[in-house]
Amino acid sequence: MRRVLAIARREFRSSFNSPVAYAVIISFLLFTSVSLFFLGAFFTRNQADLRQYFDYMLKAFAFVIPAITMRSWAEERRTGTYELLLTLPYTESELVLGKFLAAFALAALAILLTLPLPLAVSLLGSFDPGVLAAQYLGVIFAAAAAVALGQWVSSLAKNQVSAFLGAAFAMIFLVFINSVAGFLRIGGTVAAILNWLSLAFHYEAFARGVADTRDLAYFVAVGALFLFLSTWNLSRRKWS
Amino acid sequence: MIEARELRKSYGDREAVHGVSFVVETGSVLGLLGPNGAGKTTIMKVLTGFHFPSSGAALVDGIDVVEEPLAVKRRVGYLPESVPLYQDMTASEYLDFAADSRGLEGNGRREAIERSVESCGLGPVYRRPVEQLSKGYRQRLGLAQAILHDPPILILDEPTTGLDPNQIIEIRALIRELGREKTVILSTHILQEVEAVCSQVIILNEGLVAAQGRPDEIGDALKGEERLRLRLKAVAGSILELPRLEAQLRAIPTLRSLGELRGESGGRAATAELVFSPSAAEPGELVFDWVVANGFKLLEVERRRLSLEEIFVKLTAEGGAK
Repeated sequence: MRRVLAIARREFRSSFNSPVAYAVIISFLLFTSVSLFFLGAFFTRNQADLRQYFDYMLKAFAFVIPAITMRSWAEERRTGTYELLLTLPYTESELVLGKFLAAFALAALAILLTLPLPLAVSLLGSFDPGVLAAQYLGVIFAAAAAVALGQWVSSLAKNQVSAFLGAAFAMIFLVFINSVAGFLRIGGTVAAILNWLSLAFHYEAFARGVADTRDLAYFVAVGALFLFLSTWNLSRRKWS
Repeated sequence: MIEARELRKSYGDREAVHGVSFVVETGSVLGLLGPNGAGKTTIMKVLTGFHFPSSGAALVDGIDVVEEPLAVKRRVGYLPESVPLYQDMTASEYLDFAADSRGLEGNGRREAIERSVESCGLGPVYRRPVEQLSKGYRQRLGLAQAILHDPPILILDEPTTGLDPNQIIEIRALIRELGREKTVILSTHILQEVEAVCSQVIILNEGLVAAQGRPDEIGDALKGEERLRLRLKAVAGSILELPRLEAQLRAIPTLRSLGELRGESGGRAATAELVFSPSAAEPGELVFDWVVANGFKLLEVERRRLSLEEIFVKLTAEGGAK
């Protein structure tokens, strides 16, 4: 675990040495709050409801998380530090976990910085701290799953740009697939499968303020799957 | 100790190393020599556990790199050819990260960092960001990372590229010193480096061992001929006439051929290069007798060994195969 933290610390610190971390946090905060007040017609609805706010957070993830994770492996391979990491005494899973923790910490930081807005809004109306806790729980878990996905794409990509595009494409698919299914009036088993795959579908209850363990299990499973795939990918490269 | 047994490594369809075997004992420095693409870097990547071999085995202190990669990585200090550094860190942060990765703590950690900073001469740039460092300092920072944990095994891929002549001398001295107690493998294009540092050489060509042994052994085995270079002076008052001198030289017994022949100081002296067959009994003695018999004065005799450079060209230009 200490070695995992050594990787995570280096990684986290280095993300603040480039403008990417700041750009990511600022654009995430701007996007979510602007969307809430303007697109979400917050004032005309005349209701201190934050559901929209959390919906926009998930949509923002489609671009924000890939921006956080695009560097992780692709950049190490471009500069050759990949060879350093893999010849230092780390196992592949320690490297994957360390990088995951660092990127997740950055995403969590961005998410925590959205907290002042709901707290301010809560002054306007009746406020249920349980609902807010469930909403944040959902965002945090969704972010964790998305970070694992983004890093896996980065472990496959040749450079940062393709890592970003690949992860953004995958995220858009996972975030919007259930809306597309609804829009096209697809029903039955296909819809059920698309829903089951969709991040947005499992996120919906959280955004309403309901924490469901099945949805939590989905996020954990997605995260674990992609962490495993990244580890497998690193091991596979040694043989090729 | 490092051992490679029938090591093979393919990248896709291309086999980069076709069955290489060698043993490097503790306390010796092995130089891997060869043109680009000969397989030097691939062998090093396998020995450090970065790549796994396609077949055969690589053992570091008796530990198989495939079975226990972590134990191998703990023992090995590695300087890759590309000198991978994190550009956004300072030299000190970089070494701190290496120390964290190696699990160094407390006093041992501080001493390890001080020691490698000092032996690699990093003092002046210790607090500077890596992206501002010159090529020479980057190279030395990479080396400092490799020796940080005082590893019993050192694997250095072209450790002196980008250094100026003074730095090269310092780093070679450091490697020689490290090689007294450790097992060191280094790769290089520079043949003097092998002669200066290595106790053992492997010349690789197209993924095969073309020659193996001590630097002087390799020279002897491949020499094929004995060359002597003479500077002669005529006895006082007389002049050396080159055509006549040539005829006289050709009369030396067992001489195979005559190399360069050149007069100097208006014919009062001359330089000649003589080539003897390897079986010739002491060419030096024959030459001495010849000089005495012809009444010349001998100014200089130089025995010309085939340098590693010439051997290298010879081995690697002959289409690869041994």
